[in-house]
Amino acid sequence: MNVGGWVFLALGWGLAIGLSVFSFARILRKEK
Amino acid sequence: MSNREAWASRIGLVLAMAGNAVGLGNFLRFPRQAALNGGGAFLIPYFVAFLALGIPLMWVEWSMGRYGGQFNQSTTAGQFDRMWRNRWAKILGSLGISIPLLITIYYCYIESWTLAYTFFSVGKTYFGSTEQSSMNLFLRSYQGIAEGGPFSSMVPAVGFWLVTLGLNLWVVYRGISGGIEKLAKIAMPLLVVFAIILVVRVITLGTPDPAYPDRNVGNGFGFVWNPDLSLLGSFPVWLAAAGQIFFTLSIGSGSIQTYASYLKKDDDCAVTGLATCATNEFVEVVLGGSIAIPIAVAFFGLEATRAIAAQGSFDLGFVAMPVIFQKLPLGAIFGALWFSLLFFAGITSSVALLSPFVALLKENMGLSRKAAVAVTGGVLFVFGLPILLLLQHGYMDQYDFWIGTVLLVVFSLIETLIFVFAFGRASGGGGGGILSWLRNAGVAGWEEMNRGADMRIPRIFFYIIKLVLPLLLIFLLVGWLWEDLTSKSSVILMRGVEGEAALYQWISRGSIILLMVGVAVLVAVAWKRREQ
Repeated sequence: MNVGGWVFLALGWGLAIGLSVFSFARILRKEK
Repeated sequence: MSNREAWASRIGLVLAMAGNAVGLGNFLRFPRQAALNGGGAFLIPYFVAFLALGIPLMWVEWSMGRYGGQFNQSTTAGQFDRMWRNRWAKILGSLGISIPLLITIYYCYIESWTLAYTFFSVGKTYFGSTEQSSMNLFLRSYQGIAEGGPFSSMVPAVGFWLVTLGLNLWVVYRGISGGIEKLAKIAMPLLVVFAIILVVRVITLGTPDPAYPDRNVGNGFGFVWNPDLSLLGSFPVWLAAAGQIFFTLSIGSGSIQTYASYLKKDDDCAVTGLATCATNEFVEVVLGGSIAIPIAVAFFGLEATRAIAAQGSFDLGFVAMPVIFQKLPLGAIFGALWFSLLFFAGITSSVALLSPFVALLKENMGLSRKAAVAVTGGVLFVFGLPILLLLQHGYMDQYDFWIGTVLLVVFSLIETLIFVFAFGRASGGGGGGILSWLRNAGVAGWEEMNRGADMRIPRIFFYIIKLVLPLLLIFLLVGWLWEDLTSKSSVILMRGVEGEAALYQWISRGSIILLMVGVAVLVAVAWKRREQ
């Protein structure tokens, strides 16, 4: 995999994981 | 309102909604689409479509469903009727019942393959079919469309299909919190755990055959992620990205509205809807992109994988993967994990797709839960059997194109137009002319969407929903129709389809229309009875 591949992988994974953490953190905080 | 069903917990609701969205496409369709459409560069149109199409439509559908739920309306027939005071609203809304039912009719058959292959992996039934050609024969023999394979009849295929139907109906019979939510709470975590185990296995593969140093996992990930930025100007790539977002989030079928109708009036839609999208993206981009294509490159090399990817999702999932499992130590276990995770992905979607029809029968037609599920089972059997028996004649292709492609977009367009331009029109002020009407368009929907929200939805989404979404949906619809009409294997024109196959494909189209008209008539009858 080239550098561009790593950049886009980091971008895609980052967005997917970041959005999941953000939304679930909000839900769990509210649940408490 | 008193005995109306409801979700037991918010996490359960998110898992059920995510289960609805996460399907076979997350593991089979996404990595193929990415690899064939610019690799990492595909992510740019993909996330643009996610923001401009996926998330807004998800919020529209959640809000619409929750709004209808206040009036005990679990289907889009009742929801449209409440939002738009027009006698045709409920008939248009009936599409949100017939479309998911029609999808389930063929989706359950594909789902049954995953169940069958789980058992075939555990029992090593396909072990011995070590080449792609022999594995292809195995699949086609199982489907009853090739002779000379290990299956002499379609009995196993029909058997697994009936078991799959039975499981789906049983879950739906158990109800929202007792069946669907419980299933999601078990199946979704298991799916993620199984997928993580497989991803770890893939990442640690290295170079399986030192005789072919190019065939390694690094190149496999490179095939999915290395960007080809020159493709960013390509219309088909943008079309493919928007299509992937559309399919992966299960929007446009009417099933999300039914799930959302079991929310309470002031329950949040914004964060919970976003969490549904996020879970789906995690499963798709992080897990789905890291299994099938990378492992195929590691074992078959780039060129062969490109050819497999071009052939379609089923070849990747049901032919290439079983061949690979036979080359892995503990391959039977990894095979079982792969196919059972696909089964979990499938069943959590199919029970959602069944829900609108069951809700119509139960809540609008007054049938008992048992009777509603029995009728649904009957419809699935009668309309589904030809899918099994006429597979080689392209019977299912007609369903997949007209329902799984065209009607999903058509219905999304209808619901968006109603949400923006019809909803709240009566209260939005009568006078003022067309300019005032245009200014007020979408305001009622926006207010509904933000009611009880646990986060402030950025204002830009108001304009995206009002102005961009309808145009994007028209772009998608025209793009797909154009793509099919100019294709050598056009489904619309049935190019290259002759003789018996043409007859069966026309019968397939007829059965689609029959079911759509049948559901519309049921809706009309239910409303007539209510008025009396």
